Amino acid sequence: MRGTKPLVGALVVLFLAQALLCNYALRDKWNKDFGPGSGKGLVHANSSPEQVLLQLFGLREFAAGILWVKADSFFETGNYDAILPIIRLVTWLDPKQIDVYATGMWHLGYNFTDEEQRSDRRYIPSALALGKEGAAQNPNTYEMFFETGWMWYHKIDDDYFQAVKWMKEAQQRPDMLAARKNLLAGALERDGKIEESLMTRYKLLDEANERLKKDPAYGNMTMRDTIENNIDTMLIRMSQRGVFARERNDGSFERLPYDVKPPFETGFSVKVTVEDPRIIRFEGTWNVLPVGTRIRAIVRDANYPGAKLAELDWDSQSNVDLDPPRDLTYMQEQLFVKNRRFNRRVDMSKDPTMYPFTTDKYLVEFYYNPRSAAVHIQDKFGWNGEGMTDANYLRLDVRPDQRVVYTTLTLTRDQILRRGEWQDRVPIVKTPNYVEQKGAGIEDEMFAVPSMMAEPAKPPPGG
Amino acid sequence: MKPIWSIATTTVGEAIRRRVLLIILLIGLLILTIAPGLSVLTARSETTTLISMMYAVLQGVSALIAIILTVYMIPNEIERRTIYTILSKPVQRWQFLVGKYLGAVLALALMMGLMSAVMLGVFYFQQQPDMAKMAELAKGPILYFVQMCLLAAVAIFFSTFTTPIVNFFLSTGLYAVGTVLNPVYDTFASTNSNQFIKTVAQIITTVLPNFGNYNVQNPIINPGQIIANETVFYLNATVYGVFYISVLLVAGILIFDRREV
Repeated sequence: MRGTKPLVGALVVLFLAQALLCNYALRDKWNKDFGPGSGKGLVHANSSPEQVLLQLFGLREFAAGILWVKADSFFETGNYDAILPIIRLVTWLDPKQIDVYATGMWHLGYNFTDEEQRSDRRYIPSALALGKEGAAQNPNTYEMFFETGWMWYHKIDDDYFQAVKWMKEAQQRPDMLAARKNLLAGALERDGKIEESLMTRYKLLDEANERLKKDPAYGNMTMRDTIENNIDTMLIRMSQRGVFARERNDGSFERLPYDVKPPFETGFSVKVTVEDPRIIRFEGTWNVLPVGTRIRAIVRDANYPGAKLAELDWDSQSNVDLDPPRDLTYMQEQLFVKNRRFNRRVDMSKDPTMYPFTTDKYLVEFYYNPRSAAVHIQDKFGWNGEGMTDANYLRLDVRPDQRVVYTTLTLTRDQILRRGEWQDRVPIVKTPNYVEQKGAGIEDEMFAVPSMMAEPAKPPPGG
Repeated sequence: MKPIWSIATTTVGEAIRRRVLLIILLIGLLILTIAPGLSVLTARSETTTLISMMYAVLQGVSALIAIILTVYMIPNEIERRTIYTILSKPVQRWQFLVGKYLGAVLALALMMGLMSAVMLGVFYFQQQPDMAKMAELAKGPILYFVQMCLLAAVAIFFSTFTTPIVNFFLSTGLYAVGTVLNPVYDTFASTNSNQFIKTVAQIITTVLPNFGNYNVQNPIINPGQIIANETVFYLNATVYGVFYISVLLVAGILIFDRREV
């Protein structure tokens, strides 16, 4: 064949043209819009050869669906550990399967518990990482934003600004369910953004009225009525707790007897006894007589990485790691107050993998946050603790713009495990103001239920 | 042009008469027909699983047909010595090669057209979708066809200097690698700060034929994604395919022209 030079020239030109097209017009666009998962290639997902084959032949969704059915059988048999790798595999194979992300988050966050049904909170950063990944992979639907926000709101029950952030993201999505929109108002309220919460409720009321005009269905009517009722309740609370008076700044708050005045003395005190190896008893006082107070108690490694006051750095993970830090201990319990005292025995001896106690020093934290409080108690304490005080343990530096009760005690590993010098001695640590309880007995079988407003606080019994 | 067309039409006739291709096509059509019954095996929505599976079958069967159809084309002509009869007439070698390739493309178009029609028909009777959904579903096979044309060009190129068995594995391997080029490059580019590795990844993804560009099924399987300039992407992918096919055919012509037959 003559004239091979033009052919070689054409070959070079065509090759360069395809290279330019591939590099500048196709590859990034494909990864952004047509790839199975945003920014998650096969190598990233560490797929095995057979998984790659499945992906090559386009059976991703089919394989993922079959695996998810398999996971269901593990749920039924309670084989929770076996579910985790399947969840991960399914999310790699089919990042659009939102149910798996949502179920995986719930499973990680709620289902790994000790013998006394306390969650293993070391999994929570992983659960949130799964939620973040799910939201990134499915940015056009509200679901994973809502699920992640719900975990902050309900499970973590603290750092409500995160719940607000995720719920607001969920609200941006057009498929957000009307009924679920109400939760943003609740999250804003718990985040101390009372005005914004009220405005959100008004906006929801407008939307509900619009829906009712278009379709006078019973469901639409009840939703409108519920929002209306929530607004009424909130306005009353704002009024009684002195929010409007403080906004007016005309001296009326100082002059008039709003519910949050005078600040209520909580009289917190606590004693921690290590009764047996890994078995701890919490006893203490809390002046609030109505039922409904739960004080957060935490036992954790003193040097737990990234630990904050009364919480961990829940948002610390961006990659999903299904194994919690096995060498760290983090136990969180809610101490239920009855008749102005609490007495709770926490048995960590049956769960050595959850409570390994591998380090030498442990922090025992006690924390009460009015924003998470029951509403009948919040009516006195206010949204930010303005109606609450504690002579010894009120802290303003634990959470921004909040008055909380917070204190810590320390225990050593030998004390918790009752080893060395503590083998025959009962380790007891307590706050200086703790007074030994008396009279616990028959009266603890009953609840005393007066109003918090009825009489000034008395010292706790036995004092 | 006339010799090319004659060779192409003859090639189509041969392809239609090949039993192995017809059996593969029949199996593909059978799986497409029973696909709705298989979606109950998974936990995903029926529509999602159905579309995913149908596309997978269409793509897999088409790839198999494209490779088996083309790996034997030139070696068979040489083995049966029919190539001498053809080249003794006023037919250039390049015309023979291009004619063979066009014949393969036409045969592919027929077979893929039939499978796509069955796929759309089954989907319509199973799901009763609106026309917009049907149009959305029809987009996939169009790009799959370009992908298979590229695969056929790869196999034709290899068939100018290798045996059919070697060609089969080479083409299959290159198809497998070419399918994952985009995510692999994305992984290296996003998770690796080493510039050398990035450069190597870029060179590999530039040199090898990128079959992954034609896998546009994800937004169709999982609707709701807003894709800007989708038509432009489709056109670019098609033009890329035409360029790369041309590269392979020109390279094949240069090799075939020097080959002793």
